[in-house]
Amino acid sequence: MTSVSGCEDLFDCILMADNRFHCEAYKEGFREGTNQGLVEGKTHGTVHGAKLCAEMSFYYGFAFTWKCLLQSNTDTKSRKRLKTLESLTEFIEGFPLNDPQYEKLQECVEKVRAKFRQVCAMLNVSADFREYVSSASGMSF
Amino acid sequence: MKDTLNVLHKFNAHPDSRCWYVAWNPTGTLLASCGGDRTIRIWAREGDSWECRFLLPEGHQRTVRKVAWSPCGRYLASASFDATTCIWGKKGDDFECLTVLEGHENEVKCVAWAPSGSLLATCSRDKSVWVWEVDEEDEYECVSVVNAHTQDVKHVIWHPTQELLASASYDNTVRLYREEDDDWVCKATLEGHAATVWSLAFDPSGQRLASCSDDRTVKIWKESHSASEEDGAGTSSDLHWKCICTLSGFHSRAIYDVSWCQQTGALATACGDDGVRVFKEDTNSGPHQTIFSLSVHMPKAHSQDVNCVAWNPKEAGVLASCSDDGTIVIWRYQSDT
Repeated sequence: MTSVSGCEDLFDCILMADNRFHCEAYKEGFREGTNQGLVEGKTHGTVHGAKLCAEMSFYYGFAFTWKCLLQSNTDTKSRKRLKTLESLTEFIEGFPLNDPQYEKLQECVEKVRAKFRQVCAMLNVSADFREYVSSASGMSF
Repeated sequence: MKDTLNVLHKFNAHPDSRCWYVAWNPTGTLLASCGGDRTIRIWAREGDSWECRFLLPEGHQRTVRKVAWSPCGRYLASASFDATTCIWGKKGDDFECLTVLEGHENEVKCVAWAPSGSLLATCSRDKSVWVWEVDEEDEYECVSVVNAHTQDVKHVIWHPTQELLASASYDNTVRLYREEDDDWVCKATLEGHAATVWSLAFDPSGQRLASCSDDRTVKIWKESHSASEEDGAGTSSDLHWKCICTLSGFHSRAIYDVSWCQQTGALATACGDDGVRVFKEDTNSGPHQTIFSLSVHMPKAHSQDVNCVAWNPKEAGVLASCSDDGTIVIWRYQSDT
């Protein structure tokens, strides 16, 4: 087939039809697939971004509230707790949460989660917020 | 082979259950055991037999996986599948639970006291390692939670002299931690085992670390000071430990525990093939070449999996082992070299 020079040859057109339609359909399908993938990817990204941000914001708010509650206490125990709450806040503020391509994102998130669990143990607060949080944003930790 | 391992005593410590772990107190006079029956027992030698001196009141809802004595010998910590760690102390003539440490999401697999007695480490199936601080009023506070492992953490152990913590995991690695800016940070990952790492033991000087695994090998690791210059990667505060010796071909099943005798330097292993083995370092083993050879193999040490081996800290050559068959055996190891 490669030796045929043009499309003027009627037989050639017929013979090549299958190939041509295949190519056109492929391109069409490719466009459609790209769009679909884009939409899916976007949804996926939105869901995960929202989940992660909700989780981190929850910790941030948690730390903020407890800092307010303990602020006026001067005993050693409260000071220690405040210090740990402070480092939890610093951890959250310390990495670009809005950059999904940040290579250490997972590592930083794990560090924040670990710190949160330490804070909960120090404050004698149960770290199991699954029920409370899942109804709101569906986050898991 | 003239080296021998003889049974001194055998007793049914946890009848109709498994005996998971045994721990000698620092003076080597008491042996604490724990098991699948959720109990903790403390044994002492009385004349020609071993008697249960204390049966600790029910403190755990599920299997007690490991126990550890504090360096002062006055406290006992127990790690349980009920997600808690209990600290026991002697009050009058009995032991009672002084504190319950909560925080792990699920099964606590191990607990270990730092040599100073002011730090305690726990690890769990939740993949995390926790470090607790003990203050003057015997109150415990969590100082760090480290999520370095990617799977179930099986064992934690402290370095005998430094504030260095080691952990072993189902993710086939051993990790080492140091304190940095008020947090405990993973400073080294020891890769080499092909399956779960079950247990760890430091040699008497703390220069070498032995790890035992489901891959049926024991590996010996040593800190290498030149490594940081060689690879150029990582920060200067990272630790570099290298595998300097692998004991393979001796065990036919998973190795669940390893114990390094503080007096003789002999290495004992507890194996899933019901055997207990003792290895000793060759006389021509040196800084450039570490060679361990099998000194004694006791094939049917127990009738089921051997879960733990522990050298007596004071009496050289006295070894305790415990098994899924619920028994504890006290051995005497003798070597002619």
